[in-house]
Formats: sequence, structure tokens, C-alpha cells
Amino acid sequence: MISTSLRHFREPTKDEQTQLFFSIPSSTLTDSKLHDIEKVDINSVLTLGDGEEEPYAGKLYIMPPYLSFASLDRKSVRFTIPLATIRRVERLNARAGIYALSISTWHGLRFVVQLTSLRPTADAFCAVLRDALKVELQRGQMKAVKAFVKTCYSEALVPSSSNVADNEREDGSLIITEEKGGDQMQERSYHGGLGLKFKFPGDPKKLREASKIKLWTTYLRAHGRNLTLLRYPQCTRLVQVGLPNRLRGEIWETLSGSVFLRFSNPGYYDRLLEENKGKTSTSTEDIEKDLHRSLPEYAGYQSDEGISALRRVLQAYSFKNPELGYCQAMNILAAAILIYMSEEQTFWLLELLCDKLLPGYYAPSMHGTLLDQRVFESLVARCLPMIHDYFESVDVQLSVASLPWFLSLYINSMPMVFAFRIVDCFFCMGPKVLFQIGLAILKINGEKLLQVQDDGGFLNVMREYFATLDQSAHPNSSDPRSRAITRFQELLLISFREFSVITDEMIINERKRFRNEIIHNIESFSKRASVRNLKSLGRFTKEHVGLIYDALYKAMCIVPPPPAVAPPPSLFTTNDGHEEKPETRIELRTFRYFLSEIATWARDEKIVLNGLTRRIDREVAEHEFIDRLFYFWDTSCRGALSFQDLVFGLDGVMFNDLMDNIEWFFNLHDKDKDGNLTKDEVLTLSESLLFIFRFEIGDAYLGAVSRFMSNAFEYGDALLPQSEDGSPVEIGSNQPYLNLATFRMVVLADEILEAFFETDLVASFRLQPLPELELPVANTGLLSDIWSTIATDSNKKIFNMFTDEIGKTIGKHQVIHRPSIGRITTLQEPKARESLLTPSMRSSASKSSIQSDSSSPTKSATDRSSPLVATPSSSTLSIDMAALTLKDVAVPEETGGIPPMQMVHAVNAALMERTPFAIDDAKEDEDSDEDTDEDVDDDDEVMDEVDAFLEAHDSGLTEEDKKVANDLLNAEPVK
Amino acid sequence: MTDSAVASTERSVQVKLVLLGEAAVGKSSVVLRFVSDEFQANKEPTIGAAFLTQKCRLDDHVLRYEIWDTAGQERFHSLAPMYYRNAQAAVVVYDITKAASLQKAKSWVKELQRQANPKIVIALAGNKVDLVQPSTSSPDANASSEDDGEADDATATPGETPSPEGEPETPRQVPREEAQAYATEAGLLFFETSAKTGENIVELFTEIAKKIPVEEILSKATSNRSGAAGSRAGGARQDNVNLEDNGAKSKDACNC
Repeated sequence: MISTSLRHFREPTKDEQTQLFFSIPSSTLTDSKLHDIEKVDINSVLTLGDGEEEPYAGKLYIMPPYLSFASLDRKSVRFTIPLATIRRVERLNARAGIYALSISTWHGLRFVVQLTSLRPTADAFCAVLRDALKVELQRGQMKAVKAFVKTCYSEALVPSSSNVADNEREDGSLIITEEKGGDQMQERSYHGGLGLKFKFPGDPKKLREASKIKLWTTYLRAHGRNLTLLRYPQCTRLVQVGLPNRLRGEIWETLSGSVFLRFSNPGYYDRLLEENKGKTSTSTEDIEKDLHRSLPEYAGYQSDEGISALRRVLQAYSFKNPELGYCQAMNILAAAILIYMSEEQTFWLLELLCDKLLPGYYAPSMHGTLLDQRVFESLVARCLPMIHDYFESVDVQLSVASLPWFLSLYINSMPMVFAFRIVDCFFCMGPKVLFQIGLAILKINGEKLLQVQDDGGFLNVMREYFATLDQSAHPNSSDPRSRAITRFQELLLISFREFSVITDEMIINERKRFRNEIIHNIESFSKRASVRNLKSLGRFTKEHVGLIYDALYKAMCIVPPPPAVAPPPSLFTTNDGHEEKPETRIELRTFRYFLSEIATWARDEKIVLNGLTRRIDREVAEHEFIDRLFYFWDTSCRGALSFQDLVFGLDGVMFNDLMDNIEWFFNLHDKDKDGNLTKDEVLTLSESLLFIFRFEIGDAYLGAVSRFMSNAFEYGDALLPQSEDGSPVEIGSNQPYLNLATFRMVVLADEILEAFFETDLVASFRLQPLPELELPVANTGLLSDIWSTIATDSNKKIFNMFTDEIGKTIGKHQVIHRPSIGRITTLQEPKARESLLTPSMRSSASKSSIQSDSSSPTKSATDRSSPLVATPSSSTLSIDMAALTLKDVAVPEETGGIPPMQMVHAVNAALMERTPFAIDDAKEDEDSDEDTDEDVDDDDEVMDEVDAFLEAHDSGLTEEDKKVANDLLNAEPVK
Repeated sequence: MTDSAVASTERSVQVKLVLLGEAAVGKSSVVLRFVSDEFQANKEPTIGAAFLTQKCRLDDHVLRYEIWDTAGQERFHSLAPMYYRNAQAAVVVYDITKAASLQKAKSWVKELQRQANPKIVIALAGNKVDLVQPSTSSPDANASSEDDGEADDATATPGETPSPEGEPETPRQVPREEAQAYATEAGLLFFETSAKTGENIVELFTEIAKKIPVEEILSKATSNRSGAAGSRAGGARQDNVNLEDNGAKSKDACNC
């Protein structure tokens, strides 16, 4: 399997990053009206209706169909709510110069946003908001909200407080009030996981479920819930002490944003399963193997109900995203999530995980996993240099332990009750949590880790640690409260306090830094594997085959082949086990590109001189001869060639001597393989020769082909059986006519053709190192941004056209076709045949053509062709041409400016210097005075655990600002 | 259930061993049989690689295997070098009822021979022989008592007791001779095994142990760290490499 998919990676745009931050689903909307509405944002101050929370300054965004807000620090306060949940928007009558809106949501929540930008900006913002709301109303989304929220557990938890919202009506919206009696129905209308039936992991009393539920009920009542949840600092704290089991699924869904996917795709999950019923694939087979290995100790997965749900969710995902399909570890994730969520909820969360939160983790190349392991390693090097250096000295690999941490969100590594609390934080605070926890684990175990001798020892320390997470972190402390702190609590404390320097931005930047390195590693790994897995290298060395691979890979990047498929099952291969694996095979279109990289006549190369620049424009040639070669090499008649076919094909010609070549060329044109060419085939063969010789200088080759044709027909006719009267028998143009011996004779009668078959044909296949394929430039800074906008292909074309025009104006524009053979370099008639070939050339040409050192064949070719370019500027040109052949896919030097990679390095160097870390010297937590009293009834004490590691939340407002904001709560709407 | 941090016997050598092979050929089951003499249907899933240890006692020294049981799914292939680097031994497992799994095994062998430690000892194990043997009066008393859980590696008969006599349900697809010939040619140890019945499992690991250049490792190890080869006579517990009965005794061998 050869895949070029990594080449298509594109860094997210700024807009996409904002969407990602607010968990807004990528737009798959068909509703064009919504598309027409622009995305806007505005500075504003958010004040919650009941005045309980402080006002926060931040930015308000409209990204239809969502309204979002984030405080200035991007973490204290934020929300994303569908516009459809907004019941009323009013302009407030406030002091002069203050522009404020009061917004009420479905759940009866009211908040005020003071738009602090200039008046026209605020007016424009309001206009967009109005339009967007109108579109949502027309789409009927407002009505959908009502049914949807009933699927959320929080509605049962905070019952009938939505009366306010129900009574208020958005203009034109039709709210059917049938709330009475609905309360009873709600009992089972909410989605839930297997835990409802098979119990949740952990002891509810120990987990203080009741207290947590009470706290959440209070929070959800005051801050909205499910679709309308506003996230204030208290929300994060509540998450950090661990979510209550019954609410966990919904909060995961809400905080991660997968709830929006479910909301905007009603019925999708069921339809997907229905439409793909009974379908099987490699993924479904792999899924079956793992179903019984996914959290097997949990009661739900010892029952058919749990296993079936798991099967459906994993299969549904593999149907939705067949390219990714199924990757081991997804079963762990899905199994864990299903304890807390319904199948449909799990499906959407899985989608979000694979697509956004853990990008590329489960892809066939697992590039995301490898990338984040590299990022983690670099963070360890920066934050915990002692451990990093020690591991290097004893050759211990971090990934042997950390890979499963990331791949299964720690679920596979530590007891479930603890892992789920990490998952809580992960969905609330984002992927950086995985890194923070990982760093904290290493730091806490630092002393032991500095003694391990190998990978195994490292794993044993980790295993021991994870098995004792429930024990006291300070068993010998005299302070009972300090003794009560468990190792897990200590882990969270250190993660979020000491490693709060690890931010999402940092992760994003580190990923950019290492992405190309990882892609390069993966590609060279799969190259080595592809070469190794060939049945035969033919007579090539490994290096040569590597060059063939490079040409193939480049062709595949330009013309991607169809997805690799296993060959259709035949009657005889069903059960003998010889079924083949899916294999990458290229079609004719890709083959043309491939061949153009190797055979000089398979490309049209024009040397363009315009007085300012010179370059070689290369185009892929199309000719029946190339197609013929494709089918000639397709020995298994699949209509597509594998890497092995290409190697065999090239092997069949590149090591030939004169006689071999003549026979090879003959066979290539002998379609029915009867050992005879027909008259038609003689003509086709002549055309092939003309095609190969099309750019040669002068008439010599034309003459040779024309002599060949007349000789071929003369000898052919002469050898035909004589009829009675002595004249040759008339035969059809498609009947056997010319055999190999005659063909050979005809060829050898011509010195040019002899030379061609002796050396030139072989020499026209050139295995040369290709220039490194350019990877997408990482946008690490402003400069590279500019670079990437300049260096697009189309811009290069425009630049070239521009200089060509100048060249034409000043009369220096020249286009010269580069010959494929290049033997004849002047416009003179060929001399006597003896002088054409020196003995040394005879012996060396076929070898030199496969030298990976490219200079000699290319150079000799250009040396010979130098008189050809005997133009005013020719004296230095021939050398440059040789150089250019290696570079012509890259930007010509004269036009390029700074090489992109160099710039990336410079930017990266700057990046490295930016953030100083001072973590290693952080003290052990001295504030062990946290209250972890066992008194279950005191709800507030649940929170003490986190108080210590919560930083102050900066609202970004002065006291005066806050007063203004709070006053707005009492302002009257504008009449 | 894993590590044995017990004091080492007279001469103890640590050997890193990696298991490779296609998904569902029974790698984890082979290890589990060797390490704890169990055959379990539902095991902890392998993500990346599972790590287990087991001791193996030879005449004059004890070998401590560090076993890396890798994930078999194709996409984890690129992670494998992380696990087989520095390995002194490898067991490449295939399923004798699936010819394609031998192909994959061959490609693993090729990769190991080119990319791994040049002195690595490689064994080829054709697993699941129990599926093609008519189940005669069970040769190993211990086996049948234990595997009433459904056979994760004997996937042909999930949740069933062994099929009635004489009629193997899954036909063998890899003739013993073919695999043997390949193994000889490639210079591999070769065994046909059954993780389910325990057949040849201990033998497999014992033969590998015999081929490990112990002296070399010992001399290296002692020069590196002194404490590794402690001396304590009478490691009476580690006699699970007794070829006759791999049953009862090996239980307490290693899962400390």
C-alpha cells in the first residue's frame, strides 16, 4: 500500500481555528441562505442576567448558525449556542454611548452583551444577527430545539424551569404549549448509556455523586444547559472534581461540542446503519475481532446488549469514514463512552474525536499519533530536561508508555474511574490536557524514572504508579488532611497548576514544527517497506528500486490512483487462503507521469529562454507507444500496474544489449505474440520510432525510419511465399508478415537504428534522484504566510508568462525542444558509421543510465547537444541545463527568493527562544491544606479539591466597567 | 500479575523478545499461555504493545524474558520498530488455517532480518494446530479444563467446546512441510503451536533461550551494571522449562 494522503495536509485557516475553538461543526449545510451570512465578531462585555457572575470582557462571534463568546483570556468564560435557541433579542435603553443587547435563550436564561466597538460596527453586527436569526427561523430550526432538548438528561434534572422561555415568543415563531404532562414523559426521553442499566464504574458514595448532582443542578439552572450552556469558571471547577456519572455523557457531549453535530444531523445515525446494513469490509472484520476485548471487565460488555451497541457504533463510524475505517483503540474509546452515552451520542462524539480532537490519530498511517508523540517528547525535553536526557542516555523510549496514553485517552492505562476524570478534563479543556497529564505523571515519578535501565523498567514504574493512584500521596504526613490527598488528586494538581504553561496554541505550534519531519519519516518507512516487500528487485540494486519508487510516488502525488482494492474474489480463491491484500496499482494516467520521470522521450521538454530567466517546461507526453508499454507491462491484465510490475517492466528493458533490445521492441509491437508483425504493426512500430525521435535534430532519424519502412516492406514482400506465377501472395494488413529475424536484419542495416538499439534506447531510461518533493509549508509566521501566497503553482505560471512576454518584446524569447536521445547534435548529415560509436561508449552507456549519480548521463547528453543551443547566450547554457534538470520542479533559483524550508527553520528558531519554562524547579505542593474531609453531606467541600489549582480568573474589566455592565441588567429595552 | 522483582538466581540474563504477526493469529494467547499458563478469551486489548515478563530456567542460568506483544492491526505496523529495536529474540506467529498470515509472517521476518538487531534469534510459530487436530483424548489434562471460555484464538468455534472427534472444522491451509522448509531456508526456529492446548509453547520459548548468546549478554551486562547477576542458589521455582509437563508446575513460575 502506497499512500500519498499525507501530502494533502493543509493547515487550518484562521476561521477554521476559531470554529474549532468554539466546537462549531464544519459547515456541511446545504442551505445557501445561511452561507450568505457573513461571519462577524465584535468586542463586547458579557453580563449574566441574575448578576451572580461577574461581567467579563471578550469577543462575541456570529458564525451562522451559532453565536459564540469567549472572554479575553479565552478560557474563563465562553459559550457556543445555536442561534435557534435564542428566543428574544432586545436593544437596551442605556446611557448615551453604550450599545447593549439583552439576549434570552430557550432555557429562560437572559444575558446582556454590551457591544464596545464603534457604533457603525455594532449596528452592522446587529444587522447580521437579525438576518441570521431570520434564516434559522425559516429553516424551522427553532422548532427542532424543543424536541431535541428532551433527549438531554439535564432537562429531567432541572425540570420545568423553561416556562419563561416557552411563554415568550420570538416574532412569528409558533410555540405549541403542551408542556403539561410532558414532565412525566421526559422520564425516559433522555439519552443515556449502558451505565443506567449495568451500573457505572466506581462507588457512587465515594464519588459523592449526590453532592455533585446537586451542584450541577444549581449551575445548570443559572447558566443554561445542553444547547444553551454558558461556561463560567465554576463549570471548569465542577468538571475538575469529576463529573457525576448520570450527567457525564451529556456534559461530555456539551463541552466537546458533539451535541451540535447530533442536533444538526437528526436521524443520520440510524439512516447510516440502515443504508449499510449487512455490508462487510476489512474494518467490520477488524471490529469483530476486538468487540470482546473492549473493557471486557465491565458488566455491560459481558452482555449481548453492550456488545451489539459497540458493534453498531464502530461499524457506523467505519461506514461514515471508510478511509479511516477502524483502528484498534477506537474500540476502547467507544466502549468507554457508551457507558455514559447513547449510541447516537457516542457516534457523534467518536466522529468529533477522530476528526477534530485527535486529528490523524487513527488514520491508516497514524500520523497524528506519531506527531503528538514527537510533540510530547519535545515538551518533555523542555519541561523535564533531566528525565529526557536520562532516557536518552539509557536509550529508553518515551513512546512505549505514552503512546497508549494518548491513543486511548488513558482509559487503557489506569483504573477507569480515574481515566474518566481525565477524559472529563479533556473534553472541557481540550487536547492539551493529555500532554499536561503526561508531563505530570513523569514529573511525579521522576526519581524512580531516573533509575530505570530500559523500556521494560520504565513500563513497570508506570504500571505500579497507575495501580496505586487511589492511595495517599503523602502517607507519612502528620497532617491528616494532607494524608487524605490521593495520588490521583496530586496528579491533577500538578497537571493543571505546574503545567498550565502548556497551552493549545503551543501544541498547535509544536505540531506545525514537527509535521514535516513526521511525514518524511512515515514516507521513508513505507518506501523501505514497499521495496522490501517486492517479490523481486530484478537486476536492480535497492537504490535503483528506491529511485523507481520515488518516480512512482511523485506520479501518484500528481495523479492519485484509485483507492487500492483487493482483487475481485474468484471462484477458486475463496477459501484457499491465497487471497491477496489490497495493493496500490496505478492507472494509465498516473503511469504517463511515472514514465515521464524516467524515460526521456516520455516527456516534452522545452527550454525556454526569455532573456531574463531560463527554465525547462516539462509536459507529460501522450502517445500510443506509452499506452502500449503500459499494457505490455500489465502482465496480469488488471488494467493497472503495481510497483512490482513497474520494476519488472523496467528490468525487462534497462539491462538489454543490442539483440535483447531489438527483440524487446519487436515483442512490444507484436500484439498477438505469434512471433510475427503484421503490416499494420510494422507501421505502428515505425510510428513509435518517430515518436521517440520526435525532437531529434535534423533529418537523420526521419531518414532512418523511412529507410526502415521501405526495407521492412521490401524484405517482408520478398519473404512472402511465392504464388504460381512468381508474384508474392497478397496478404491482409493484419496477417503475419515480418518475423523477428527479418526485423533484426532490417534494423541492423541502418546505423542510426543500430545505435539506437545498441545503447540509446537503454540510455533513454534514466533513474535519477528526484528533487525532494515540496511539503506544504508550515505557516509558522507572517513571512512564511507571504511566501506561501507567492509560491503557489499558478503564481509561478503567471510569473513565467510575464517574463516570457518581456522576452518576446525584447526579442530574446526562445523555445527549444530538448531531444530525447541527443546523439545528433548538429544539423549535419551523419558521418560514416564507424565514427558514431566508440568502443567505450558501447560498453558504458547501458550502465551509466542506471547510475544514481545523475550527472554523467545527463551531462554527456547535454554536452553533445550544446551546438544545438548555439544561440547568442549559449556558452554557459549547456551546463545550466544539466543543473536544471534536477530542479525543474522546484522554483527556478532566479525567481524563488528564500527557500521555504530555510525560512521555516528561522521561524522555528525564533519560536524556540520564546517561552521560558521554569517547571523543573517547581516545589512539591506545599498547599496541602486542602480539605478533603469525608463529610459527604457538605456539597461545597467537593469543590475544595480544585480550589488550590485554579488560577484567578481575570474578567479583563475594571471595577467601573463592571458596574456599568451590571447596571445594564436593569436597563429597559428600547421601545 | 506481571513483573517478577524477585532476587535473581545464580546467573540471570534479561532477554528482550518481541511477538509479531498478523492480527488474530493468537500472539497474545501464545504469550499468555507461556507467562501464566492460561488460555483466556477476553484479554486486555493490545494497544501499541503489551509488556509481560517470564523466567525461563536453563541448565546453568535463568533467562528473564521481557516480552513485547505487539498489536497486529496493519496500521500499527509503522510502530513496530519501536518495539523490536534492541530485541534479542522474536517470535513471528502465523495461523496455520490462514495462508495469508504466513505471507505476512514472511514479510515480518524479512523486515526483522534487515532492520532489527543483526544477531536476533527469530522463531516462526504456526499457531492454532488444535483446530486441525482431531481432538483425541486430550493430551494435556490441564488444557481442556481451562478453556471453556470462548476461544479468542480458536475463532472458528467461538463459545463452543472443542468440536467432536475427527472432524476439524477449519482446514489447514499451511502444510507443515512448507513452513518448515521456509524456516530452514530463512534460518528460523520453527514450531507448530497451540496456545489453546499449550502444545509446543514452552518448547518454543526454551529453544529460543538455548540459542540466545548468553555469555555475550552476560559479559556486557556485568560490565554495565553490577547488580544484575546476583547470586542466590536454589531458584527451585523456575523449572517450567521442563519439557515433559508444562502443566501444573509452571503456574507459579512467573506471575509474581
